[in-house]
Amino acid sequence: MAMLTTVDRIEGDVPVTVMALDGELDASNYLRLVDDVRELYASGTRNLLIDLSGLTFIASSGLVALFSVVRVMNGEEPPDPEYGWGAFHEVSRGVEEGNVQTAVQLCGAQPSVSEVLQRTGLDRLFLSHPDRESAVASY
Amino acid sequence: MTGRSTDPPESVVRRTLAVDADVARLANVRAAIRDVARACEAPATCMDDLVQAVDEAVTNIIVHGYRGLPGTIEVTAELVGDDIVITIEDRAPTFDPTTVPAPDLTIAPDRRRPGGMGVHLMRLAMDTIRHRPRPGGGNILILTRSRVARPKEG
Repeated sequence: MAMLTTVDRIEGDVPVTVMALDGELDASNYLRLVDDVRELYASGTRNLLIDLSGLTFIASSGLVALFSVVRVMNGEEPPDPEYGWGAFHEVSRGVEEGNVQTAVQLCGAQPSVSEVLQRTGLDRLFLSHPDRESAVASY
Repeated sequence: MTGRSTDPPESVVRRTLAVDADVARLANVRAAIRDVARACEAPATCMDDLVQAVDEAVTNIIVHGYRGLPGTIEVTAELVGDDIVITIEDRAPTFDPTTVPAPDLTIAPDRRRPGGMGVHLMRLAMDTIRHRPRPGGGNILILTRSRVARPKEG
């Protein structure tokens, strides 16, 4: 209820699905985000750009959702929703091994949301773009 | 104009909110904390930190404290000097989040503590976090954050 998602498909040389999150991502709606992305993956989406410009708040549960989305978009099962730091252990290991995934990228994060991503180290899992236009142009 | 007596007393900023232990109520809690932060004329980063810490604390109480069972959470926010003090009270089993260890990425995932990531964010956002058992059962969690800008807040 506290968040709306809008999906656009951009058919360029590389098709990109843009999912815009508007509102607040918290413990009440983070599982829905994972379900939405699971449906996109099942229907063929392989490049997902998450537009965070309308997202005004992200809780730790929302961070788990973003990590889960990466797993789903790489054809893997998402972790247990209570996985917590275990997920970040894996993120850290993957980044250290040079495995920066590109299937899920972010754009437009507001300063408060960027701060939370940085405080948990989750920012290292994503390529982040200042806005949707520059992100789409980068594919 | 002629002295302190004409200034509104700072204790005038005090709000109390009681919500059901339901994640659907988190948005109401965040809105209330934003109202208090505005009333305290807190800078934006201070407001963001307060909202983050209270959301994580209340989420942990709902998910790990009451574990889906019915319950009530009382949130009181007040300005004490330059400190914004948030007191969160519940009747869930006693749990002291300040005992959750700092994140250690060398610890195997299966040894994680529930709620550890939320507690990590709470610690970074707050100046102090104190816990004590609530008389009659439950928890009292007191979060404090100065409204005075931290160096990086400019």
